[in-house]
Amino acid sequence: MSTETRFQEIKRYVRLDERDAQLLRDFGVLAAPELGRIALEFYDRIREHEDANAVFTGEEQIQRLQRSLVAWLTRVCSGVYDEAYHEQTSIIGRVHVRIGLPQRYMLTAMALIRVSLLRIADEKLGAGAAATREAIVRILDLELAVMLEAYKDSYVERLEQAVRTVPDSQNPGPMPGRRRYVNADEITGTMIVGLDREARICLFNSEAERVTSYARDEVLGLSFLEALGVDDEQLAQAVRSGLGGVSSTQILEACIRTRSGKQRDVIWNLAAAIDGQAHEVVLVAGGRDVTDDKARDERSRQNEKMAAIGTLAAGLAHEIRNPLNGAQLHVAFLERAIKRKGDQQEMLEATRVVGDEIKRLALLVTEFLDFARPKPPELKPTSLFKCLEHAAGLVATDAQAASVKLVSDPPSSDVEFPADFAKLTQVLLNLLNNAVEATGAAGGGTVVLRGRRGPRQLFIDVEDDGPGLPSPEAPIFDAFYSTKEGGTGLGLAISHRIVTDHRGTIDVSSRPGKTSFRITLPLEQRTGTAT
Amino acid sequence: MSASTQNRKQRVLLVDSDHRTNSRLAELLREDGFDVDVARDGAAAIALLARAPLPDVLVTELKVRHADGVAVARFARAQRPDLPVVVVTGHPHLLRPGALGSGPAPVVLTKPCDYGELLSALTEPGSQPAPMRASAHAGH
Repeated sequence: MSTETRFQEIKRYVRLDERDAQLLRDFGVLAAPELGRIALEFYDRIREHEDANAVFTGEEQIQRLQRSLVAWLTRVCSGVYDEAYHEQTSIIGRVHVRIGLPQRYMLTAMALIRVSLLRIADEKLGAGAAATREAIVRILDLELAVMLEAYKDSYVERLEQAVRTVPDSQNPGPMPGRRRYVNADEITGTMIVGLDREARICLFNSEAERVTSYARDEVLGLSFLEALGVDDEQLAQAVRSGLGGVSSTQILEACIRTRSGKQRDVIWNLAAAIDGQAHEVVLVAGGRDVTDDKARDERSRQNEKMAAIGTLAAGLAHEIRNPLNGAQLHVAFLERAIKRKGDQQEMLEATRVVGDEIKRLALLVTEFLDFARPKPPELKPTSLFKCLEHAAGLVATDAQAASVKLVSDPPSSDVEFPADFAKLTQVLLNLLNNAVEATGAAGGGTVVLRGRRGPRQLFIDVEDDGPGLPSPEAPIFDAFYSTKEGGTGLGLAISHRIVTDHRGTIDVSSRPGKTSFRITLPLEQRTGTAT
Repeated sequence: MSASTQNRKQRVLLVDSDHRTNSRLAELLREDGFDVDVARDGAAAIALLARAPLPDVLVTELKVRHADGVAVARFARAQRPDLPVVVVTGHPHLLRPGALGSGPAPVVLTKPCDYGELLSALTEPGSQPAPMRASAHAGH
């Protein structure tokens, strides 16, 4: 059998023949309209699982993956199963290995796809589906066999690599210096990375594996700074000094890049190790992932600012209403007196302006009170579909008038969560109006209102392709930050507060051409201490 | 109810510590056909109410000196349980539901109050004008 390729061998074993190819080709035509839906449901299912979900870097990537899935399904039903086909499938397998998707998800994913396709076959072919079903099962198992080869190849490579880095092949046990650290490094919640003389990784504890998503054997022997994508001169300098025997006492904060490309903020501490033979640990870098802490501190600071403003200024706001009332009343009196004098258009116009300005002030006061002394939200089970639909409906006319295309992107199935419907609508309206205005001012564009479900929370995104925020450091959630003429400057501050009251978070990322606000809300409210 | 019913002008009692504005308001209302009395604090208001005749409508701020608007309204309602009450205030949240006891609920207008709105409240008792802004802000 030396002339047979591996692929031909698998096809023969599974008994995939020309008849199957024909059946799959015909099936492909029938299934084509359903593929988009299958892709959506497939990725929504993945979002519900933390480990699988952790691999994703964002919506754009997921949409690319969905398109790829549709392309793959089309190929699977193409009816052509030659070496080129085999190569393409192998590539897909290798990609999944590279991004770090655990193998078990490959298998379970295939199970989902199999069920989806079999259902379509039953629906469209009824009693005559049997032969097509068999063909589907054969081709999918073939796919699985080829893709799992990529995982097997990867393991073999890593094993070979691990064997190569053991300096003394007669002593396969853990390196002597390492033994000292093995117990301690596994019980802390700190990343521990041991470096050798050349700043290469020779120790990598479980916490480091967890934070970076790299397995130990994948990074051993690699340059610490390169492997973790560290671009910080201070840390690089400290590593150099550390290797020269100078322990750093500074707290160094530097970003690392995880396997899937995400950035995490880490606080590093370097300590010189006691012995320093070749291939042994000479420098220990302890790292604490503070990304989530920083985000939480920032939100805390924001909340404290709000609370301080609240009580003091609310009293002031109420008091302002009295003189406004007096002014408005006297303007009414003036208007009447002027009208008695006959046609005095300019004077009347002036009183009208005064009246309008007073009304504007009154509105500012009311909005400010809503922001500073809010009523607590009444949380009730709420449908995400209804929320999104309602908000989109409210801005539809304005969007159209501004030549802005409003795109609704709900999840494939509804999510129920605790929320105050009116207040959440207020937030969505605020974000949507801002997005529509920004895009409209630029001459038109697209605004996307998206909802997605995560393992324990849901996400609502409002994205626009307008000119973006003035600067990434801008404190847009601060009261009165607004750059809009005619606005009260409180919209985002109020929105931020409402989201916080729901124990959620609101984050923004912006560059010219893409601004995205993301609201994260818990799927369950736990009773207990307030944030 | 219009400003005059059956050859008798409607009588209004205005209660507010801002005397200057209150007096101006009284002038406008008199021009529009009402009989108007003015009190600059709760005690003066109650004294006026104790003397017959009772007004046809009571218009009062909540935060006034010596006796607050609620006390004044309750005193008036003790004399006539269905007396129409209009509350014009910068602190609408100070008025708890049912504060006036039984009887028709007061019409609540938030300052700054539009003269036209007040006029409507006086000529169509029992009709609560639409809130100034979206209902999310009601009660502030």
